[in-house]
Amino acid sequence: MNLKLSRWPFDTVLVANRGEIALRVLRTVKKLGLKGAVVYHALDRHAPAVRLADRAIEITGATPVAAYLDGAQIIAAVQSCVAGDRTVAIHPGYGFLSENAAFARAVEAAGLIFVGPRPEQIERMGDKVRARGFVHQAGFPVAPSAVEDDDPATFVARARAVGAPLLIKPSAGGGGKGMRIVRDLARLESEIERARSEASRSFGDGRLYVERYVENPRHIEVQVLGDAHGHVLHLYERECSVQRRFQKIVEETPSPALTPELREKICETAAGIARAVGYRNAGTVEFIFGQGGEFYFLEMNTRLQVEHPVTEQITGLDLVAEQLRIAAGEELGYAQADLVTRGHAIELRLYAEDPARGYAPTTGPILRLIPPQGEGVRWDGGVAEGGEVTSAFDPMLAKLIVHADDRAQAIVRARRALAETVLLGCKTNAAFLGRLLRHPAFERGEIHTGFLDAHPEIAAEPPLAEATVHKLLAAAALSTRPLRDVADAVPDLYAALGAWRN
Amino acid sequence: MQHVFKLGEHEYQVALSRARQGYRLHLGERSIPVNLHREDDGSARLTVNGVSERVHLAVRGDEVFVHLDGASHTLRYVHPLVRLARQRHAAAEDEIRAPMPGSVVALAVQAGQSVTQGQTLLVMESMKMETTIIAPRDGVVEAVQVEKGQTFDRDALLLTLAPEKTA
Repeated sequence: MNLKLSRWPFDTVLVANRGEIALRVLRTVKKLGLKGAVVYHALDRHAPAVRLADRAIEITGATPVAAYLDGAQIIAAVQSCVAGDRTVAIHPGYGFLSENAAFARAVEAAGLIFVGPRPEQIERMGDKVRARGFVHQAGFPVAPSAVEDDDPATFVARARAVGAPLLIKPSAGGGGKGMRIVRDLARLESEIERARSEASRSFGDGRLYVERYVENPRHIEVQVLGDAHGHVLHLYERECSVQRRFQKIVEETPSPALTPELREKICETAAGIARAVGYRNAGTVEFIFGQGGEFYFLEMNTRLQVEHPVTEQITGLDLVAEQLRIAAGEELGYAQADLVTRGHAIELRLYAEDPARGYAPTTGPILRLIPPQGEGVRWDGGVAEGGEVTSAFDPMLAKLIVHADDRAQAIVRARRALAETVLLGCKTNAAFLGRLLRHPAFERGEIHTGFLDAHPEIAAEPPLAEATVHKLLAAAALSTRPLRDVADAVPDLYAALGAWRN
Repeated sequence: MQHVFKLGEHEYQVALSRARQGYRLHLGERSIPVNLHREDDGSARLTVNGVSERVHLAVRGDEVFVHLDGASHTLRYVHPLVRLARQRHAAAEDEIRAPMPGSVVALAVQAGQSVTQGQTLLVMESMKMETTIIAPRDGVVEAVQVEKGQTFDRDALLLTLAPEKTA
């Protein structure tokens, strides 16, 4: 696995993204001896990624998110980096423009290199509906469904015919946004309208599809890598079943649900699907995994995933470096049998949200931030002390990744690292993650996508012990000016007598 | 003088006084010896009842953030004037406040309109998720404090219902 190419076809990699993923990509870019650039909105001016980049270019937009979605503006910004006959590669991260085929095409048309799949592969696999049709035709299993585009006039009737429970999804979507479960078909039409409204505003595309909803399934996905020479490998699975509102909170690998036989079967199915597309780049094939061990294709993400670090921990591969080598036209250079995994890795997503209030997002300043350290502990964060959490962007603040010899040890390590993490000024889900890691069912690996709904006690905040309340009140009273001033105004003589009456 | 801190849903009346060494925290009938010593690395040593432990502290405005024994907590100092004003204020259930920061997607009612419990008042968006704000009781909308498209912080006043007439 030769990471140092003697001659890269690009000397600069620009990250068209923000937050923790911009920082994480830039770290690898610099490790490889390449120059790192990033675009940023004014709200991110002091972000760690902007500070680490060799070059940072401000972009603007009607909203902060709109700036990061403005492909034309970003390409113009990139061209200002191009010097002489060298060229620039654009890494899109995840979200934003990462699965936008028009953007990938525009990047190539501008003479730049897109760190990702070919545009037609994004079109085929990035569009959920097209991907399902393709995978189904290629002989892999998919769930019963109705697609609006097939015949918009009969969509509601066809959706009804699939039967409850149903899941409504935006055709262009991802990340759980705009998805709705319908158990009562009387509410089908109103739920479709609500999903369409969310999809339009999140993705600029209101098209929908519905599929049969499998109750209490696991979400298991497989990391794949393909180069421009037709080699496709899998990097094993990730179990991402602990979710709220269809968004992942905890991911781990290996999955506690798989036998060696099932692992090989699901991983080979994923590699087979990627091979059928002639896939280039890092990608993820997601499956719904039923309680009986049956699984079917959910979707393929044609980009780096948020949860890619757990795969990196057990395989020893740097997935961003692999993406860049593939974009440079290199061959993977290793075979499936060369990939040996070691131990167990768990990722915890630290969100600015309040689980006890329905996971409502929170905002606030980052007054104090001390990331955890130590062996087998990795912190992929995008915020720094002095920064501000606003409602302008996704509420994910950082990812805490632990690696150990086995699952039980990884859980112990995760608990300790989480307790050592200090983040003050903005309410986070840290305490919730701690309760999750201590939950007996989680410890036994008995998880599914409805796990948090089935165990509402994890989200609820337990009452504090009296001794803890006393300590907190003492710390607060001693840190609050008016209390301290009144106390200090008492002459020392009286204080020495120790007499105090209200 | 008594001061009030809000911790979770509870409010605690406390006072602080000097002691021979450090301070005493007065909480109801209790008087607990306490002290706080700032360390060079930005952490602090909190001593309660003679037992010390390391904490991390941050203060902003009326909020005190404490990382204690592996968990973070937020306490809010309730200013005496605020407490006084609050006692004279409208009943809380007349005020529809934002459960989280976000923006107004759609307003379903206008001032003067009668609403029934559970009726949609407005649809808000937060982090690309839509949330419906419903009427907590039957009543009449007295005022709508926000416009479509407007952004707001958590606890911002969105609508007010006319106070219930006591029979």
